[in-house]
Amino acid sequence: MPRWVKVSGIVTLVLVLLVVIVMLVTGGNHGPSRHMPSGGGDTQISPLVQGARIP
Amino acid sequence: MIMTPGLRKLALTVHLAASAGWIGAVIAYLALNVSAIVSQDVQTVRAAWIGMELTGWYAIVPLAFGSLLTGLLMSLGTQWGLFRHYWVFITLGLTLFCTVILLAHMRTASAVASMARDPDGAQLGHLGGDLLHPGVGLAVLLVIMSLNVYKQRGLTPCGWRELYEARQLTKP
Repeated sequence: MPRWVKVSGIVTLVLVLLVVIVMLVTGGNHGPSRHMPSGGGDTQISPLVQGARIP
Repeated sequence: MIMTPGLRKLALTVHLAASAGWIGAVIAYLALNVSAIVSQDVQTVRAAWIGMELTGWYAIVPLAFGSLLTGLLMSLGTQWGLFRHYWVFITLGLTLFCTVILLAHMRTASAVASMARDPDGAQLGHLGGDLLHPGVGLAVLLVIMSLNVYKQRGLTPCGWRELYEARQLTKP
């Protein structure tokens, strides 16, 4: 295996571990859904919005 | 199957346009995101999220699939192959990863855009933005672009095996 693949793999592994640790520390709530009133389910739509969609 | 030179150039042109367009569209998405974060004006936040949804579904997602499909076509239709060289294999993996994360993120972005469309949305000022996904996505796309430009040497075990078999066949 070439050296650049090994180095890239190690760097990627470290970054992934960092992201996992940060997510564990912050409770895994990330992205725009954290602002939603329904509590931050990843694709959950608030009852307010669901109501607005129904004519 | 190896493509003819004309077809290869056509596929390369579409692949470059889709890939560069993908990066450009993500930068536009990031600009809308920043305006959603920094603006105190409810109408600006509302417009930014609606714009992000439209940019995502009608520009970023089609360009991502265009880039992925033409990339597959280029790999399978040229001597590079899909699993022979590390840079091609890693590019494929990262592109697939970006596409999957993009689709998951767009579902959430659509839900937030639906909230932004709500005329009675009292919490619009708290919507903010999301720099993590498009930011990391842009960084990964730039890594993919660098891999494609530099084409670092390195055969995978599959590539070495194919090379060995080809040499055995050409021996007298």
